[in-house]
This record gives sequence, structure tokens and C-alpha cells, in this order.
Amino acid sequence: MAAVAEHPRPDRTVRGSLRRKEAWAGLLFVLPCLVLFAVFRFGPGLGGLLLAFTDYVPGDVTHFTGLENFRRLVADPLFWSALKVTVVYTVLAVPVGIGASLGLALLTRRAFRGSKLFRSVFFLPVVTSLVLASTVFVWIFSTEGPWSAVMGFLGLPDQSWLSDSVLVLPALALVGIWSRCGYGMLILLARLQDLPAELEEAALVDGAGPVQRFRHIVAPQLRPAFFFLAVIETTNSFQVFDAVYMMTGGGPANASYSLVFQLYDTGFKYFDLGYASAIGCALFVLTVVVALVQRAVLGKEK
Amino acid sequence: MAPTTQAPAAPVEPPSATTGPAPVRPGRRRTTAPEAPAGLRPTRTGKLVRAVLLALASVATLFPFYAMVVLSLHPQGAVELPGSLFPWRLTGEAYTEVLGARDVPRWLFNTVVYSLVSVVGVLLLASLAGYAFAKKRFPGRETMFWSFLSMVMVPYHVTMIPTFILISKLGGVDTYWGLIVPTLANAQAVFLMRQFILGLPDEIFEAARLDGCGELQIFFRIVLPLLKPVLATLGTFVFLWHWNDFLWPLIVGQSAEMRTLTVGIASLQQEQVPLNQVLAGSVIAFVPIFSAYLVGQRYFTEGVVGSAVKG
Repeated sequence: MAAVAEHPRPDRTVRGSLRRKEAWAGLLFVLPCLVLFAVFRFGPGLGGLLLAFTDYVPGDVTHFTGLENFRRLVADPLFWSALKVTVVYTVLAVPVGIGASLGLALLTRRAFRGSKLFRSVFFLPVVTSLVLASTVFVWIFSTEGPWSAVMGFLGLPDQSWLSDSVLVLPALALVGIWSRCGYGMLILLARLQDLPAELEEAALVDGAGPVQRFRHIVAPQLRPAFFFLAVIETTNSFQVFDAVYMMTGGGPANASYSLVFQLYDTGFKYFDLGYASAIGCALFVLTVVVALVQRAVLGKEK
Repeated sequence: MAPTTQAPAAPVEPPSATTGPAPVRPGRRRTTAPEAPAGLRPTRTGKLVRAVLLALASVATLFPFYAMVVLSLHPQGAVELPGSLFPWRLTGEAYTEVLGARDVPRWLFNTVVYSLVSVVGVLLLASLAGYAFAKKRFPGRETMFWSFLSMVMVPYHVTMIPTFILISKLGGVDTYWGLIVPTLANAQAVFLMRQFILGLPDEIFEAARLDGCGELQIFFRIVLPLLKPVLATLGTFVFLWHWNDFLWPLIVGQSAEMRTLTVGIASLQQEQVPLNQVLAGSVIAFVPIFSAYLVGQRYFTEGVVGSAVKG
């Protein structure tokens, strides 16, 4: 990494002293960051792991409890339910979200009048805080809101989706997709624009229709971008919290009680910080495992 | 500290060769999409279908924003469909209420402090460290750099609890420094700075050094000005991330005076404040970001996407 080019230097003694000066300057420049990282990243990273093996509660004597927290985790029905909620949410939000991103990217791919404006519009939710957006989505999904009205008109379930234990996750997934698909759109657009037009033109000459061109020419080229999006969006979805906190508080009857919500609830409502750390560790392992699986399935190069 | 339900400090970089970010280079950005080659231009029906789909997608994207603004200007009381969605009787009463009787101005101030101080801090620290990692030779450089980078992989929620315990032991709960300082250790920013600075020619620094410039002088007079493009995009990203941050301010800012806008608005909603006032709070929090987006959209897209991509 970072091969630093050698430069001719005036003479040996000056060179030695310059070297030493350079090393000192380098260390001093890194120092502030290094201290901050040691205190607020490396320390807590290690601390989080250690804490998971204790019964730490603020203001109480702390004991080393070994694997007790993890034993409790495995036996905790709430943890399994939170895991299921998180996985179902992810399975609903990520594929549909990437599909929506692809749709938007293909729609705005070519330059036409207003194409830039459309891209700006679709990206707007990405820069908007989900907390703010949730305040209006709560109304949209309420019984008096437009979503129920539209669903009723279409003959679909028209109760408040947020207070229905089956429909609450699809509702949250819709909000997640709304907020994220502009991001995927831009990632895919960046890739699409690097694609040489000659390939598609050649396929056109050979009589390939739009679907065939997409399947055989465009889609294979997008593969790395799809992989990247799948990993990023899955990691994001596993951490779903803001919208849950704002729109459902984990309800109804824990039907939207996600893993990070459980971590927050356990840690900062019940101050059971040791157990909350164990949940954090489980989340970490889960994220890594899923990323590895995705890499094995999607990431392999031909 | 996670940006809008998002990964810790910027999109998490998967450790994959296929997605490894290329060094950010200025002036290489393609601003317009290529015009479709003749044979690939959409037919008339194609154009019509595209227009219809774009219109539908735009309505779905923009409706929540429209409803947020219109209902925040709605008089307090029952919202009716579809009447309330048309701006017949607009009133600013929700705004007077929210800005007068509630803590919204204070939350706005807190959010500005949290975002601006963090941006300045992150940019300064990351450019110093990035410069040293890219251009200085010192013992332990590679080890340090890669251990910094490895922290991008550890999800924020694992370190959040110990960080909170540490901050509360140090008396930082409900203070600005307790809120801000832990967020300054931003691995993604250090990484991006290093990548950018690696692309700068060494000769500039050598020349300055031979002219007798001190190291700090070189950094402030020569390095920083060259970093302008990356400072702008990274700064925008860090700003946005702090402005929208929720979980960290939620646990650190425990009193009503120390809430940021996102936490404050969440508290309004939980206290069953009337809908038009909650939405007025949302609009107040959204307008600064929206205005900035209108002016410097390029920095937003590059900041959010460019920090991770080159698929």
C-alpha cells in the first residue's frame, strides 16, 4: 500500500534529519485522531465485547457472568421474535427497494428534458431524516389517512396498517423503501453510465429486444452494483430503529419490535447494559454472517 | 449517531475488492447522462410509458413532503380527506405555537451546534490524519491506518453502550461536548481524506519544504486549499448525518433543553401534541436541509454516494 516515491535529497545528513522531522510531524498529525479513536472506538469496541459477559447495571456492583447473557439470549422469546421481525422487515424491504432503485435508474438513465430534475426528486427522501418523515407517515397510515382510503378503494385491507400485527412490517418496509431507493438509484446510475453504448447497439443490430438487452447485456454489468447495494441495504435494514421508534414503538404486541429496538429498550429503558451489549454482539455476528453469505451468492466473479 | 437508520458513519464499506472505492478525483464527474444512441432512443409509446411511470413515482416520492407542509399549515383539529390536502384555509398557528410555547428554537440551536462543530472537527482531524497517512513516513503508519479502517466494520450499536457509559462517567450526559466529541472519531472520513491526498503530487510539498515552510504551515497553506473539493462533499455528508442523527442524541441529551430537533420532534409526537404542531416542527427541521439541497445538490449526491461508490 501507499508506495511513497523516493526523491533525490541534497545530502546525507540533511536527509536523516528531514526524515526524523517528517516522522515526528506525521505522528503529531495523527495523534489527535489516534487519541479519539482509542477512547471512543477501540476502547468501546473492546468494552462492548467485555460488557456482554457481565451483569453491568449502572450504580450496582458488576460481576463477570461468563456466558450467562448469551444463555439468556438464546432462551429469550423476545429476542427470537425481534430477530424474526428484523429478518422479515429486511426480506420485505431490501429486494423490493433494490427493484425500485433499478426501476428509477432505468427510467432516468438517458438524458431527456427534466431527467436531472427527476433524479433530484427521487434523491430527496435520502437526505430527509426518517424521524421527520415518520411524523407524516404516521398520519398517512392512520385510519383517517390516505393509505387506508386508497386501500379501501382498491378493496384491500383498509384498517390502520400500523396497528395491525401482520401489516405493520409491510408498512414500515414501504417507508424504508421510500427513504432509501433514491440512494440505490444513484449507485446503479453511476454504473449504467460507465456502460459502453456499443454493446447495446450491437445487440440491437442483432435483433435483441429491450428485455433481452437488459437481461444479457445490462444486468450482468450491474452485478457488482447489485452486490454492493444488497450488502449496504441489508446492513441498514438490520439496524432499523428510527421509523420503529417513531411510528409503532415496537407494537402492536411486539409485531415490529426489532433487534436494535430491543437493544435500546433493554439498555436505556431498563438499564440492563450487559444484556444489551450481548444483543449488540449478536447483531454484529448476524451482520457479518449475512454479508459473507451474500458475498458467496452474489459476489462471485464469473 | 447513525444517519437516518443507517450504518455507522457513512455507508459501511464491505471488504470486497469489487466495491473498493477509487480515490476521489476532482473534476472527473460526469454531470449529464449520455444521450441515447439513435437506435436505442425510446419510441413514442416508450416515451409515454416512461412519462406515466415517472409521474407516478414522483407523486409517491413527493406526497409525504406535500402533506407535511400543507397539514402543518392546517388549523388545529380534525384532518379530513381529501379537503385538508387542499390549501384552502392556511394558518401559521402551529408555527407560532411551536416556536413560542415549545422548545423548538432551542432544539434548532442545539442541532446547529451539534452539526457545525462536528463538521469542523471531523474535517480538521481527518485531513490532518489523512495527510499524515498518505504523505508522511513514520513507524507504525500502516498498522495504525488499517486498525482505524477496521473500525468501519464494527457496527455502531456495539460501541454505543460502552461509549455512553464512558461519557456518563466523565459527566458528559446532557452536555454539548458529550454529544459531539465521540462522533469526531470518524474512520470513513480519515479513509476518504487519505485516498484523496494520495492522488496529490509529492512535488508540491517538497518544494514548500525546501522553501523553508514548517510542517504546520505546509498543512494549512498548501494541503488544506488543495482539499477543497473533498472538504465540501465530506463536509456536506457529515453535516447531513449529524443533522438527521437520532439514536445518539436521544440517549445523551436527556433533558428537554439538550434535545436536538429530531429528538425533540420525537418527544412532541410522544407527548400527543396536535398533528399540525408536530408537522410544523418537522418542516422547521427540514427547511434548512432542503434549502441546502437546492443550492448544493451536487455536494449531497457526491457526499452520500461518492463516499462509497465506484461499483
